Amino acid sequence: MRRRRWKDRVFWGGCTLALALIIAPAISVLVSVFHQAAPAMSWSLITHRTNAGGIENAILGTLLLLLGVLIVAGSIGVGAGIYLAEFASGRTERILRFYSEVLAGSPSIIIGYVGYVTLVVGFHWGFSLLAAVIALSTLVVPYIVKTTEVALRQLPTYLREGAAGLGMRETTILWRILLPPALPGIVSGLIVALAISTGELAPLLYTAGFSDSNPSLHLFHQAVPYLTNVTYTDLALPGAQAHATAAAAGAFSLILLIVLIGIGRLLSRRARMATRQMTL
Amino acid sequence: MVDPMNWSPGRLPLPDDEPLNPVFEISNLSFYYGQVRALRDVTASIGRKEITALIGPSGCGKTTFLRCLNRLNDMVAAARVEGSIEFDGESVYAPSVRPADLRRRVGMVFQRPNPFPKSIYENVAIAPRTNGYSGDLDELVEQSLRRAALWDEVKDKLKASAFSLSGGQQQRLCIARAVAVKPDVILMDEPASALDPVATYAIEELMAELKNEYTIVVVTHNMQQAARVSDRTGFFTVEVTPEGRTGVLVEMGSTTRLFTNPTEKRTEDYITGRFG
Repeated sequence: MRRRRWKDRVFWGGCTLALALIIAPAISVLVSVFHQAAPAMSWSLITHRTNAGGIENAILGTLLLLLGVLIVAGSIGVGAGIYLAEFASGRTERILRFYSEVLAGSPSIIIGYVGYVTLVVGFHWGFSLLAAVIALSTLVVPYIVKTTEVALRQLPTYLREGAAGLGMRETTILWRILLPPALPGIVSGLIVALAISTGELAPLLYTAGFSDSNPSLHLFHQAVPYLTNVTYTDLALPGAQAHATAAAAGAFSLILLIVLIGIGRLLSRRARMATRQMTL
Repeated sequence: MVDPMNWSPGRLPLPDDEPLNPVFEISNLSFYYGQVRALRDVTASIGRKEITALIGPSGCGKTTFLRCLNRLNDMVAAARVEGSIEFDGESVYAPSVRPADLRRRVGMVFQRPNPFPKSIYENVAIAPRTNGYSGDLDELVEQSLRRAALWDEVKDKLKASAFSLSGGQQQRLCIARAVAVKPDVILMDEPASALDPVATYAIEELMAELKNEYTIVVVTHNMQQAARVSDRTGFFTVEVTPEGRTGVLVEMGSTTRLFTNPTEKRTEDYITGRFG
């Protein structure tokens, strides 16, 4: 009896410790980044570009990259996820799944390097929006594929059978019956993919380049500024001013991240509630 | 249809048991899930505008048989069919037949109420709309809900979620949904097994009503239910062979005859409760 209680305490103590070890660094990162960014936090930070002490161009560039990832990785990832969940079978399914997993496990710097060799140099695109978006998308596509597939597969079989039993065609069943309840899950996957993209540096180093001017919608030959690059380069510069700007860029990445994760959680909670209702 | 000289008990229905105007004619149907033979050599006829009940112990293949009639088993991987099923004289497995077209004429109601996560109205309207129904949808929805004896209970909340209904109401909504497609046949897979006695009674009443316009094939666990509602009954059982367990149709005939004077010993054992 006593021994059991002792075991119990050790177990719960271990759990609490593990939890603390997760929470503490997260809080410490938030506090230290915002503390260090404090001197740079002013209106001019977001109204001036990087050559004038601000990060306006980097914020705009990051948002533009996210939009690009949403379009490219979103369409490819959701499409492949739907294909895997609904249509693929046998050999095609195994092949697609295998390469998706390989991609998911690839180090991001490798993806950046391959992007550099093929897109930037090979295709003569130069540091460019499209090269950056493709490199980032390559990184997050497997994630979107997985969440889309799971969102569709977790729908109960009787939903499909019920629709098929009414003589609805496969594509109609997909669009009208399956996608609506799967949508919150798919969207929350997209949002987490965007959150990952926000914090990535490695795939962009060799593909986006950097520029002090605001990003444009040109797909080729125009380098794109982005937040993580400011953090990376300014931290290496001497001077308190540059370090504060680096921290401020980090703080903006974190804010974007928190907002995205918040939206993602909200949507996935809604998805859970919708499916719970269904299995009643 | 049956040659009296060649008739052998249990293999074919008694001559007076044969429906005069069959909508389905099934001969030597075997069904496989991969290597497992779930059904063996089923030969049967389903009478038009009759209620045919399929009874038998668990795992006897009655649901599998039902799902062959609208090719819903096609959705199961590694499913394979031998033998033939003719629907109005045409093979349902002919290459020219598209399963979706067949299922519009052979609707289905499932064991557990499975409304779509949509409004009551939308549950009934979605299939006709996406199938290209050109008439007045509002009218069709009302008419279908009336047929399913649900209209009076839901007419003021058509926009409410289908999940706000009770289990019995959800099942009648699923019947309304099936009726809205205007099928010839409605297959029901233990439609009342998840419902309480009152809701069960409502479903049985409804089936008797629907019989005037539709052919109904109903799988049921409940022998009393089969005796109460059906015109014709088929008794399936499980045969254990060296290759595994296989479902077989033991006998099929008019419900009154089958329950009072079964030709097969196995049927008698089952309906008298000595087995199953």
